[in-house]
Amino acid sequence: MSTRRTHLPVSLVVAPDRGDSSDGELGRALRAGSPWATAETWQRFAPGVIMFAKRALGSESEAQDIAQEVFLRVFAKARTLRDPERLRSFVFSFAIRVLKTELRARKARAWLSFHRPETLVDLGGELTDMESRQALRRFYALLDRLAPRHRLVFALRHLESMTLEEVAAHLEISLSTVKRLQERATSKLSRWIEADPGLAGFLDDKGFVR
Amino acid sequence: MTTPGGGKGLRTLAALTELARASARPPTPVELDGGLDALRARGDVGKALRRASRRSLFRLSLVGALAAASAVAVVSVVRSGRQPWRAAPPALTYSIEGGSVVDGGYLRESGGGGIKLSFVEGTEFILTPGTRSRLRAVDASGARIAIEHGTASFQVTPAPAGDRRWQVDVGPFLVTVKGTVFTVSWDAATEKFELKLRHGRVTVTGPVTGGEIALRAGQRLLVDLPQGETVISEPKPEEALDVSAGPAAPAAEPPPERPSVARAGKPAAASAGERRWGVALAAGQLDRILAEAERAGLKATLERAPGDDLLALADAARYRRRMDLARDALLAARRRFPDSPRSLDAAFRLGRVEEASDRGLAPAIEWYDEYLTRAPTGTYASEALGRKMTLMSKLGGASRARPIAEEYLRRFPAGTYAGPARAFVRGAP
Repeated sequence: MSTRRTHLPVSLVVAPDRGDSSDGELGRALRAGSPWATAETWQRFAPGVIMFAKRALGSESEAQDIAQEVFLRVFAKARTLRDPERLRSFVFSFAIRVLKTELRARKARAWLSFHRPETLVDLGGELTDMESRQALRRFYALLDRLAPRHRLVFALRHLESMTLEEVAAHLEISLSTVKRLQERATSKLSRWIEADPGLAGFLDDKGFVR
Repeated sequence: MTTPGGGKGLRTLAALTELARASARPPTPVELDGGLDALRARGDVGKALRRASRRSLFRLSLVGALAAASAVAVVSVVRSGRQPWRAAPPALTYSIEGGSVVDGGYLRESGGGGIKLSFVEGTEFILTPGTRSRLRAVDASGARIAIEHGTASFQVTPAPAGDRRWQVDVGPFLVTVKGTVFTVSWDAATEKFELKLRHGRVTVTGPVTGGEIALRAGQRLLVDLPQGETVISEPKPEEALDVSAGPAAPAAEPPPERPSVARAGKPAAASAGERRWGVALAAGQLDRILAEAERAGLKATLERAPGDDLLALADAARYRRRMDLARDALLAARRRFPDSPRSLDAAFRLGRVEEASDRGLAPAIEWYDEYLTRAPTGTYASEALGRKMTLMSKLGGASRARPIAEEYLRRFPAGTYAGPARAFVRGAP
């Protein structure tokens, strides 16, 4: 069969690509206020921030809002970036701060409100079966019950696969505190899951738990 | 490894964590561009970004003027994107002839000659006139297109490293492609699916296929949903190799070829079920159905009753406000008969059950979504979308219902929910 095209009706012309610049070069440009650096910073780091927020909150739309807030702060504080080589950490530290604020605000809203807001999980993925989606909705409903600090540690450790040391560094707390928070979060979640036969049943049906 | 540990609860937690990790989809280049646009619209950052954009635009316009002079005058749309993490594969660009992409990714025909999508690496999608389709995603890793009604031909160029993924949603079926030439048809009215594979290989999943079906070159797959019939046939060699032949019309009747691989008829249990509780349900004998189920034992009934009996039991339970039993019956039907079209019906009915129960609106919306994803042109599609619109307005206000209302009016302008949908679009409710 003939599959190669010899003629293309449209030519795409693009500007010089700044994507090859290192994080350090980008960090310096951002700090100096170069116009191209803001767009490049977004293109380079927004996917990671959005994925982090999506996995932590279980919501695609909220993750987009978080990313907007994170990058507004990053650009506003770009001049305070001391080590341009650590631009990635700089961005991620804002992501953690914004997420922590959002989790606290959620908790406060849950306390102030007479009814708990419903968890409508949307990770933007292609989960093809309803049972898995339901299991995820229940999972995120359980995460909503955790204290913000516990949830943040759980998200970084288990959803972002960070080491305990990395979690401690990002949250600027001691390793022993991270261990304690992580153990408490895990213990609470597993206890709640065991008390939810529907959730355990779903996973048995799906063959996740043997 | 960051698995939360041992024990049933901990193992389940580990599985859920893994599920959450695996389910999150990275943002597409289009979504990223949208995010950047949103940032541009905000404060000082917006000013800086707009300045950068204007400079790039000026540079582009000089080069672009030269390029445009030599470009063929075609109606086309070019989208590009880049994977922002690490070594990104080349961006996938495409052009459209004979139509354009409108809101929601729908492909609108501009003439009467069908639509052709040409991707830069050689892949082509050709939609015959009148075909209703939607471009669901295009990114560096491939594309996904949905055929809601009509016929389309595909010529997919194999990627050197096999790292591109092409997927075609055809009615409730999903065709996954890797370097192949095929034609696919979906008739929404008769619910008949046909795929003619000329070269390469594809896999098809969907209702009644009995799991994933892998097809090899020259094979034809026909699925008749109302009859619950799947036929894989081997056409005559000259027909199979006739690449120049136009796309086939939606299959109106079984093909003349001799079935050679599989034929899966409607489960006998289903017709037996119709003779039992289906008739009783039609006669309004709800209590009789419930009493018989209880006499036989609810657990045993859920495990052994034919599919249609389970649906009849669910309806009887729902009408008698026994929502837990209705839910259990529908979940049992889906678990035991996952490939049956009735499994899709069960998804819609689960939405109704959740609406009527006290679990909140989110589960109902999820079931309607499930139905709409699996059966976008199914019997209850209009109803499911209408119910979803109504529930979203209750859950998040008119602003969240409005996009669904717009979709509803586009798809079902004369549907039952068209009136409320117009009100949402006008901003009245």
